[in-house]
Amino acid sequence: MTDPVTTPSAAPAEVPAGTRSLRLGIAGPVGTGKSSLIALICRELADELSLGVITNDIYTDEDARFLRAAGVLDPERIRAVETGACPHTAIRDDVTANLIAVEDMEADFAPVDVVLVESGGDNLTATFSPALVDAQIFVLDVAGGGDVARKGGPGIGRADLLVVNKTDLAPYVGVDVPQMIADGQAAREGRPVLGLSRLDRASIDQLTGWVRSMLAAHRAGTHTPVDPGPMAPHFHLEDGVEHAHSHAGEAGMVHEHSHAEGGHSHTHSHP
Amino acid sequence: MVQNASELMLMLLADARLPTGAHTQSAGLEPALNAGMPITDVPRYIRTRLRTVARVEAGTAVVTRHLCLSAGPSGGPADLAAMLAEVQRAWAARTISPALRETAVLLGRGYLRLAGRLWPESVPVRALTDAGRGGSPCRAVVLGAVAAETGLSGAQLARLIGYDEAQTIAAAALKLAALDPVSASQWVLGVLGEVDTLVAATADLTAIDEIPATGAPLVEEWAQIHTTAAMRLFRA
Ligand SMILES: Nc1nc2c(ncn2[C@@H]2O[C@H](COP(=O)(O)OP(=O)(O)O)[C@@H](O)[C@H]2O)c(=O)[nH]1
Ligand SMILES: [Mg+2]
Repeated sequence: MTDPVTTPSAAPAEVPAGTRSLRLGIAGPVGTGKSSLIALICRELADELSLGVITNDIYTDEDARFLRAAGVLDPERIRAVETGACPHTAIRDDVTANLIAVEDMEADFAPVDVVLVESGGDNLTATFSPALVDAQIFVLDVAGGGDVARKGGPGIGRADLLVVNKTDLAPYVGVDVPQMIADGQAAREGRPVLGLSRLDRASIDQLTGWVRSMLAAHRAGTHTPVDPGPMAPHFHLEDGVEHAHSHAGEAGMVHEHSHAEGGHSHTHSHP
Repeated sequence: MVQNASELMLMLLADARLPTGAHTQSAGLEPALNAGMPITDVPRYIRTRLRTVARVEAGTAVVTRHLCLSAGPSGGPADLAAMLAEVQRAWAARTISPALRETAVLLGRGYLRLAGRLWPESVPVRALTDAGRGGSPCRAVVLGAVAAETGLSGAQLARLIGYDEAQTIAAAALKLAALDPVSASQWVLGVLGEVDTLVAATADLTAIDEIPATGAPLVEEWAQIHTTAAMRLFRA
């Protein structure tokens, strides 16, 4: 099967450990600033790190085109994955298309340090499977309301980093940023929360500092990918009690989950 | 020993929940609708696919399966890999548009990734994963190897490909047009006879030369146009 006609791009069987990038997922509701955050990371780090970006927009290449237009990264390193209108599936239940895109990126631009994968998220419940990413950032913004961080959910509760974005807008939307961050911290049992604004230099430095330290931990083998959990409700392993939450009516999602020990079974329908 | 293992295996492989990246595919429906095909033509579109491109796919898969099974215990993955490379060449010669070939190779990678995890010891599967360095096999070749591994008959394999074709198109239609979901199931029911015909025409093929050469020029052209289309919901 070496016929060039047959095989336009060679498929990496398994990426050698040394060239395997840090795969970093960016999730969060639409409009909270995921693409902007990726553009920010690229602008800040593209000189020092080899980066790649995979987008998962519903109308596929919107995000990819925005990022290419931002001019912060070689356009070849920004690729869109079509999700067949199933953005949740593409980052959780069937990550195949994204994994192939990540591996191709790693092979085409080896060595790649970090591949950023943007979810085509449309509500609070979507998080990345650890089968796809090593770490993930969940993005909220102050404009979505100060109480969102308190509502919790797998991404807010257990993503590796929770970003409360657009803090510069807080005075206009009447949100108390320290309170929102405190709410986030309360929901996260000590995991980090970062108030971010593209106009706030110190917060940008904190973000890039976090990415650098995550990359260092990934390379040192000291970071273990964590699954924030399925879309919710969830089984708390810590206290051994099964919770049945109902999220019917939340952004059109209907869930009916029962989780046995260690295993998950769910039925859900989404638009 | 599982009773009726091949039947259950057929269900597993035909299940849309199988993680192979299939949800990114519309079997050319999105490009067809973009080219102006009316949504009411979907049943005819499915029929046409079953008589043309799906027949190439089914023939390729069935012949792959046959070669995997007849390679015998002496032939290792390397011998088999060379033989399957021949099948792939025959398939490529019958699949004119690069877009269709690229899509089939992408899908093949998805299936192979899963098969390599599920059946890591399988000789047919290893023949393909080992060859993965030089290039990836198309979906039909991977499915043929999986069928050999899991005990699917040639008829079951051809039926899987026919059924998957119809369901992929019908399910994608629900994302692309305003439709009652029941009509999608009705469409699939309506073409089951056509799936039978596909099975009859391909299930017993054993030689590479027998793989049908029944491409559909318009389907190929639409697939090609889609690679540069903006605002795609589906990869292909
Ligand atoms: N004021 C302000 N607006 C921001 C900030 N970050 C992003 N935005 C704006 O928020 C909107 C949505 O951003 P985008 O990155 O497309 O969100 P996505 O849908 O999550 O990818 C855009 O208009 C951005 O310009 C920020 O730090 N401050
Ligand atoms: Mg975006």
